[in-house]
Amino acid sequence: MSFVTVRHFTEADIPIRTELLRESRFAANLTDFAVVAADDALVANQMRTIHSEHRVKRIFTLCGPRDQVVGFAWITSIDWRSQTCELSFGILPRYRGYYGAPAVAAAHTYVRDELNMRVTVNQVLAHNTMMHSADALAAQRKVTCAYDSYTVGEWRSACYWTETDEDFQAMRARLDDRRRELAERIRAMKHPS
Amino acid sequence: MTEMRRLDIAGGVAGLRAAGDQARGFLGTDPVTQNDALLGSELTRIGAQVYGHGDTLLGYLPNVDQPRQAYLASTSSDPDALRLFTAFLGTYQRCTSYVATVPADSVAVGAFDACGFRRIGMLRDHQYRSGRYHDVVMFFATGEDVCRS
Repeated sequence: MSFVTVRHFTEADIPIRTELLRESRFAANLTDFAVVAADDALVANQMRTIHSEHRVKRIFTLCGPRDQVVGFAWITSIDWRSQTCELSFGILPRYRGYYGAPAVAAAHTYVRDELNMRVTVNQVLAHNTMMHSADALAAQRKVTCAYDSYTVGEWRSACYWTETDEDFQAMRARLDDRRRELAERIRAMKHPS
Repeated sequence: MTEMRRLDIAGGVAGLRAAGDQARGFLGTDPVTQNDALLGSELTRIGAQVYGHGDTLLGYLPNVDQPRQAYLASTSSDPDALRLFTAFLGTYQRCTSYVATVPADSVAVGAFDACGFRRIGMLRDHQYRSGRYHDVVMFFATGEDVCRS
Protein backbone atom coordinates (compact mmCIF):
# COMPACT_ATOMS: atom_id res chain seq x y z
CA MET A 1 0.00 0.00 0.00
CA SER A 2 1.57 3.26 -1.13
CA PHE A 3 1.52 6.22 1.24
CA VAL A 4 1.21 8.53 -1.76
CA THR A 5 -2.27 8.85 -3.25
CA VAL A 6 -3.31 10.17 -6.63
CA ARG A 7 -6.29 12.45 -7.16
CA HIS A 8 -7.57 14.70 -9.93
CA PHE A 9 -5.87 18.08 -10.30
CA THR A 10 -8.25 20.88 -9.32
CA GLU A 11 -8.41 24.67 -9.61
CA ALA A 12 -7.29 24.94 -5.97
CA ASP A 13 -4.00 23.22 -6.92
CA ILE A 14 -3.11 25.73 -9.66
CA PRO A 15 -1.14 28.20 -7.45
CA ILE A 16 0.98 25.35 -6.00
CA ARG A 17 1.77 23.92 -9.43
CA THR A 18 2.46 27.35 -10.89
CA GLU A 19 5.03 27.97 -8.17
CA LEU A 20 6.59 24.58 -8.95
CA LEU A 21 6.77 25.35 -12.68
CA ARG A 22 8.80 28.46 -11.85
CA GLU A 23 11.10 26.79 -9.31
CA SER A 24 14.74 27.01 -10.44
CA ARG A 25 15.58 23.27 -10.52
CA PHE A 26 12.30 22.44 -12.23
CA ALA A 27 12.97 25.12 -14.86
CA ALA A 28 16.49 23.84 -15.53
CA ASN A 29 15.63 20.15 -15.46
CA LEU A 30 12.27 20.02 -17.23
CA THR A 31 11.13 23.19 -18.94
CA ASP A 32 11.53 26.90 -18.28
CA PHE A 33 8.50 28.21 -20.17
CA ALA A 34 6.78 29.27 -16.93
CA VAL A 35 9.59 31.64 -15.97
CA VAL A 36 8.70 33.98 -18.82
CA ALA A 37 4.94 33.31 -18.89
CA ALA A 38 2.49 35.68 -17.24
CA ASP A 39 0.44 34.50 -14.27
CA ASP A 40 -2.87 34.69 -16.13
CA ALA A 41 -1.48 32.67 -19.04
CA LEU A 42 -0.28 29.92 -16.72
CA VAL A 43 -3.61 29.85 -14.91
CA ALA A 44 -5.53 29.76 -18.21
CA ASN A 45 -3.31 26.98 -19.50
CA GLN A 46 -3.99 24.78 -16.47
CA MET A 47 -7.71 25.65 -16.42
CA ARG A 48 -7.90 24.52 -20.04
CA THR A 49 -6.37 21.18 -19.09
CA ILE A 50 -8.87 20.72 -16.25
CA HIS A 51 -11.91 21.62 -18.33
CA SER A 52 -11.33 20.59 -21.91
CA GLU A 53 -8.13 18.68 -22.66
CA HIS A 54 -9.09 15.30 -21.18
CA ARG A 55 -8.41 13.42 -24.41
CA VAL A 56 -4.90 14.80 -24.88
CA LYS A 57 -3.58 15.78 -21.46
CA ARG A 58 -4.42 15.11 -17.82
CA ILE A 59 -2.82 16.37 -14.63
CA PHE A 60 -2.98 14.54 -11.31
CA THR A 61 -2.15 15.72 -7.82
CA LEU A 62 0.08 13.50 -5.70
CA CYS A 63 -0.74 13.62 -1.99
CA GLY A 64 1.12 12.46 1.12
CA PRO A 65 -0.33 10.62 4.12
CA ARG A 66 -1.92 13.77 5.55
CA ASP A 67 -3.45 14.63 2.16
CA GLN A 68 -0.80 17.32 1.71
CA VAL A 69 0.19 18.03 -1.89
CA VAL A 70 3.68 16.60 -2.52
CA GLY A 71 3.75 17.03 -6.29
CA PHE A 72 2.07 16.46 -9.61
CA ALA A 73 2.06 13.93 -12.43
CA TRP A 74 0.76 14.57 -15.90
CA ILE A 75 0.17 12.50 -18.98
CA THR A 76 0.60 13.75 -22.53
CA SER A 77 0.96 12.19 -26.00
CA ILE A 78 -1.96 9.97 -25.01
CA ASP A 79 -2.89 7.24 -27.47
CA TRP A 80 -6.04 5.77 -25.91
CA ARG A 81 -6.39 3.09 -28.56
CA SER A 82 -2.82 1.86 -28.30
CA GLN A 83 -2.86 2.41 -24.51
CA THR A 84 0.32 4.44 -24.35
CA CYS A 85 1.18 7.85 -22.97
CA GLU A 86 4.08 9.94 -21.77
CA LEU A 87 4.14 10.26 -17.97
CA SER A 88 5.87 13.22 -16.32
CA PHE A 89 6.45 14.26 -12.73
CA GLY A 90 7.17 17.33 -10.67
CA ILE A 91 7.74 16.93 -6.94
CA LEU A 92 7.64 19.99 -4.67
CA PRO A 93 11.17 20.90 -3.46
CA ARG A 94 10.51 20.14 0.23
CA TYR A 95 9.26 16.63 -0.60
CA ARG A 96 11.98 15.57 -3.03
CA GLY A 97 14.00 12.54 -2.04
CA TYR A 98 11.68 10.90 0.47
CA TYR A 99 8.51 11.13 -1.65
CA GLY A 100 10.02 10.87 -5.12
CA ALA A 101 10.02 7.09 -5.65
CA PRO A 102 6.64 6.38 -3.97
CA ALA A 103 5.07 9.23 -5.93
CA VAL A 104 6.35 7.78 -9.20
CA ALA A 105 5.06 4.32 -8.23
CA ALA A 106 1.63 5.68 -7.25
CA ALA A 107 1.23 7.56 -10.52
CA HIS A 108 2.34 4.54 -12.57
CA THR A 109 -0.14 2.34 -10.67
CA TYR A 110 -3.00 4.77 -11.32
CA VAL A 111 -2.20 5.18 -14.99
CA ARG A 112 -2.04 1.40 -15.48
CA ASP A 113 -4.79 0.19 -13.13
CA GLU A 114 -7.40 2.86 -13.80
CA LEU A 115 -6.61 4.46 -17.16
CA ASN A 116 -5.61 1.11 -18.67
CA MET A 117 -2.31 2.31 -20.11
CA ARG A 118 0.08 -0.52 -20.96
CA VAL A 119 3.22 1.35 -21.93
CA THR A 120 4.50 4.68 -20.64
CA VAL A 121 7.14 6.76 -22.36
CA ASN A 122 9.74 8.50 -20.19
CA GLN A 123 11.70 11.53 -21.25
CA VAL A 124 14.31 12.89 -18.88
CA LEU A 125 16.88 15.54 -19.72
CA ALA A 126 20.34 14.00 -19.40
CA HIS A 127 21.54 16.41 -16.71
CA ASN A 128 18.39 15.91 -14.60
CA THR A 129 19.28 13.77 -11.59
CA MET A 130 16.31 14.80 -9.45
CA MET A 131 14.67 11.38 -9.77
CA HIS A 132 17.32 9.19 -11.38
CA SER A 133 21.06 8.98 -10.79
CA ALA A 134 23.25 9.60 -13.84
CA ASP A 135 24.16 5.88 -13.85
CA ALA A 136 20.51 4.77 -13.68
CA LEU A 137 19.62 7.15 -16.47
CA ALA A 138 22.43 5.81 -18.64
CA ALA A 139 21.33 2.23 -17.98
CA GLN A 140 17.66 2.86 -18.77
CA ARG A 141 17.77 5.11 -21.80
CA LYS A 142 17.09 3.59 -25.19
CA VAL A 143 17.48 6.79 -27.17
CA THR A 144 19.46 9.95 -26.58
CA CYS A 145 18.28 13.00 -28.40
CA ALA A 146 20.79 15.83 -28.61
CA TYR A 147 19.49 19.42 -28.67
CA ASP A 148 16.13 18.17 -27.37
CA SER A 149 15.36 21.20 -25.21
CA TYR A 150 16.72 24.64 -24.45
CA THR A 151 16.37 25.46 -20.77
CA VAL A 152 17.91 28.22 -18.67
CA GLY A 153 20.28 29.30 -21.44
CA GLU A 154 21.60 25.88 -22.48
CA TRP A 155 20.84 23.19 -25.00
CA ARG A 156 19.97 19.93 -23.27
CA SER A 157 20.08 16.34 -24.43
CA ALA A 158 17.17 14.09 -23.50
CA CYS A 159 17.06 10.40 -22.64
CA TYR A 160 14.03 8.43 -23.78
CA TRP A 161 12.84 4.96 -22.82
CA THR A 162 9.59 3.07 -22.55
CA GLU A 163 8.23 1.16 -19.59
CA THR A 164 6.00 -1.89 -19.96
CA ASP A 165 3.92 -3.57 -17.24
CA GLU A 166 6.79 -6.01 -16.66
CA ASP A 167 9.29 -3.16 -16.31
CA PHE A 168 6.97 -1.46 -13.85
CA GLN A 169 6.54 -4.61 -11.73
CA ALA A 170 10.33 -5.01 -11.62
CA MET A 171 10.71 -1.38 -10.56
CA ARG A 172 8.12 -1.87 -7.79
CA ALA A 173 9.92 -4.98 -6.57
CA ARG A 174 13.21 -3.05 -6.39
CA LEU A 175 11.46 -0.26 -4.48
CA ASP A 176 9.93 -2.74 -2.02
CA ASP A 177 13.32 -4.44 -1.50
CA ARG A 178 14.94 -1.08 -0.80
CA ARG A 179 12.18 -0.17 1.67
CA ARG A 180 12.54 -3.52 3.43
CA GLU A 181 16.33 -3.11 3.64
CA LEU A 182 15.93 0.36 5.11
CA ALA A 183 13.37 -0.85 7.65
CA GLU A 184 15.71 -3.67 8.71
CA ARG A 185 18.62 -1.25 9.08
CA ILE A 186 16.49 1.07 11.24
CA ARG A 187 15.34 -1.89 13.35
CA ALA A 188 18.97 -2.98 13.81
CA MET A 189 19.94 0.54 14.93
CA LYS A 190 17.11 0.58 17.50
CA HIS A 191 17.80 -2.92 18.81
CA PRO A 192 21.56 -3.62 18.36
CA SER A 193 22.43 -7.27 18.94
CA MET B 1 -42.79 11.17 -4.65
CA THR B 2 -41.56 14.36 -3.02
CA GLU B 3 -38.65 12.46 -1.44
CA MET B 4 -36.95 12.30 -4.84
CA ARG B 5 -34.96 15.49 -5.45
CA ARG B 6 -33.53 16.46 -8.83
CA LEU B 7 -29.90 17.57 -8.66
CA ASP B 8 -28.37 20.05 -11.08
CA ILE B 9 -25.22 19.02 -12.94
CA ALA B 10 -22.89 20.44 -10.28
CA GLY B 11 -24.86 18.70 -7.54
CA GLY B 12 -24.84 15.44 -9.48
CA VAL B 13 -21.09 15.67 -9.98
CA ALA B 14 -20.53 16.41 -6.28
CA GLY B 15 -22.71 13.42 -5.40
CA LEU B 16 -20.84 11.08 -7.74
CA ARG B 17 -17.51 12.32 -6.38
CA ALA B 18 -18.68 11.70 -2.81
CA ALA B 19 -20.01 8.24 -3.71
CA GLY B 20 -16.53 7.28 -5.00
CA ASP B 21 -16.21 3.60 -5.91
CA GLN B 22 -19.97 3.06 -5.69
CA ALA B 23 -20.46 5.50 -8.55
CA ARG B 24 -18.09 3.74 -10.96
CA GLY B 25 -20.07 2.94 -14.10
CA PHE B 26 -23.00 5.23 -13.12
CA LEU B 27 -24.62 5.82 -16.55
CA GLY B 28 -21.20 5.20 -18.06
CA THR B 29 -19.34 7.74 -15.92
CA ASP B 30 -16.45 7.09 -13.53
CA PRO B 31 -15.37 9.54 -10.82
CA VAL B 32 -12.04 7.71 -10.42
CA THR B 33 -10.90 8.34 -14.00
CA GLN B 34 -12.92 11.48 -14.78
CA ASN B 35 -12.44 14.82 -13.04
CA ASP B 36 -15.40 17.01 -12.07
CA ALA B 37 -15.35 18.95 -15.34
CA LEU B 38 -15.39 15.77 -17.40
CA LEU B 39 -18.10 14.17 -15.26
CA GLY B 40 -20.23 17.27 -15.72
CA SER B 41 -19.69 17.46 -19.46
CA GLU B 42 -20.43 13.74 -19.85
CA LEU B 43 -23.68 13.94 -17.87
CA THR B 44 -24.68 16.94 -20.01
CA ARG B 45 -23.65 15.31 -23.29
CA ILE B 46 -25.68 12.16 -22.75
CA GLY B 47 -28.66 14.06 -21.33
CA ALA B 48 -28.58 12.32 -17.95
CA GLN B 49 -30.58 13.42 -14.94
CA VAL B 50 -29.34 12.72 -11.41
CA TYR B 51 -31.66 12.47 -8.43
CA GLY B 52 -30.99 12.14 -4.72
CA HIS B 53 -32.94 10.04 -2.27
CA GLY B 54 -31.35 10.07 1.17
CA ASP B 55 -27.73 8.99 0.61
CA THR B 56 -28.55 7.23 -2.67
CA LEU B 57 -27.90 8.78 -6.07
CA LEU B 58 -30.17 7.63 -8.87
CA GLY B 59 -29.58 8.23 -12.54
CA TYR B 60 -32.06 8.50 -15.38
CA LEU B 61 -31.27 8.57 -19.07
CA PRO B 62 -34.07 8.39 -21.65
CA ASN B 63 -33.70 5.90 -24.47
CA VAL B 64 -33.97 8.24 -27.46
CA ASP B 65 -35.18 5.41 -29.69
CA GLN B 66 -37.91 4.42 -27.23
CA PRO B 67 -39.00 7.42 -25.14
CA ARG B 68 -41.02 5.30 -22.68
CA GLN B 69 -37.88 3.36 -21.75
CA ALA B 70 -35.20 4.61 -19.35
CA TYR B 71 -31.65 3.62 -18.55
CA LEU B 72 -31.17 3.60 -14.78
CA ALA B 73 -28.28 3.73 -12.33
CA SER B 74 -27.99 3.65 -8.56
CA THR B 75 -25.17 4.07 -6.08
CA SER B 76 -26.65 1.90 -3.34
CA SER B 77 -28.08 -1.52 -2.58
CA ASP B 78 -31.33 0.02 -1.30
CA PRO B 79 -34.23 -1.47 -3.31
CA ASP B 80 -36.73 0.98 -1.81
CA ALA B 81 -34.94 3.96 -3.34
CA LEU B 82 -34.91 2.23 -6.73
CA ARG B 83 -38.56 1.20 -6.46
CA LEU B 84 -39.53 4.75 -5.56
CA PHE B 85 -37.46 6.06 -8.46
CA THR B 86 -39.14 3.85 -11.05
CA ALA B 87 -42.55 4.89 -9.68
CA PHE B 88 -41.44 8.51 -9.93
CA LEU B 89 -40.29 8.05 -13.54
CA GLY B 90 -43.49 6.20 -14.39
CA THR B 91 -45.55 9.07 -13.02
CA TYR B 92 -43.58 12.07 -14.28
CA GLN B 93 -41.76 10.77 -17.38
CA ARG B 94 -44.37 8.16 -18.41
CA CYS B 95 -41.68 5.46 -18.40
CA THR B 96 -42.99 1.92 -18.82
CA SER B 97 -39.76 -0.09 -18.91
CA TYR B 98 -36.24 0.14 -17.57
CA VAL B 99 -32.77 -1.04 -18.57
CA ALA B 100 -29.58 -0.91 -16.53
CA THR B 101 -25.99 -1.97 -17.07
CA VAL B 102 -24.41 -2.50 -13.66
CA PRO B 103 -20.85 -3.67 -12.83
CA ALA B 104 -21.22 -7.25 -11.54
CA ASP B 105 -19.47 -6.46 -8.25
CA SER B 106 -21.35 -3.20 -7.62
CA VAL B 107 -23.48 -2.83 -4.50
CA ALA B 108 -26.30 -1.64 -6.79
CA VAL B 109 -26.71 -5.17 -8.19
CA GLY B 110 -28.55 -6.10 -4.99
CA ALA B 111 -31.04 -3.27 -5.45
CA PHE B 112 -31.89 -4.31 -9.03
CA ASP B 113 -32.17 -7.98 -8.05
CA ALA B 114 -34.54 -7.15 -5.20
CA CYS B 115 -36.64 -4.78 -7.26
CA GLY B 116 -38.09 -7.13 -9.87
CA PHE B 117 -35.40 -6.59 -12.49
CA ARG B 118 -34.37 -9.62 -14.54
CA ARG B 119 -30.77 -10.35 -15.48
CA ILE B 120 -31.02 -10.50 -19.26
CA GLY B 121 -27.34 -10.72 -20.05
CA MET B 122 -23.79 -10.51 -18.88
CA LEU B 123 -21.22 -8.42 -20.73
CA ARG B 124 -18.00 -10.29 -20.09
CA ASP B 125 -14.83 -8.27 -19.41
CA HIS B 126 -16.74 -5.15 -20.33
CA GLN B 127 -15.26 -2.59 -17.96
CA TYR B 128 -11.63 -1.96 -16.97
CA ARG B 129 -10.86 -0.68 -13.48
CA SER B 130 -8.57 -1.44 -10.55
CA GLY B 131 -6.12 -3.28 -12.78
CA ARG B 132 -8.42 -5.76 -14.54
CA TYR B 133 -11.51 -6.19 -16.69
CA HIS B 134 -14.85 -6.67 -14.94
CA ASP B 135 -18.17 -8.19 -16.01
CA VAL B 136 -21.23 -5.98 -16.33
CA VAL B 137 -24.78 -7.24 -15.74
CA MET B 138 -27.65 -6.12 -17.98
CA PHE B 139 -30.98 -5.73 -16.20
CA PHE B 140 -34.47 -5.21 -17.57
CA ALA B 141 -37.84 -4.62 -15.93
CA THR B 142 -41.23 -3.24 -16.87
CA GLY B 143 -43.00 -0.88 -14.51
CA GLU B 144 -45.32 -3.76 -13.58
CA ASP B 145 -42.36 -6.04 -12.75
CA VAL B 146 -41.11 -3.47 -10.27
CA CYS B 147 -44.57 -2.92 -8.77
CA ARG B 148 -44.96 -6.68 -8.19
CA SER B 149 -41.57 -7.02 -6.44
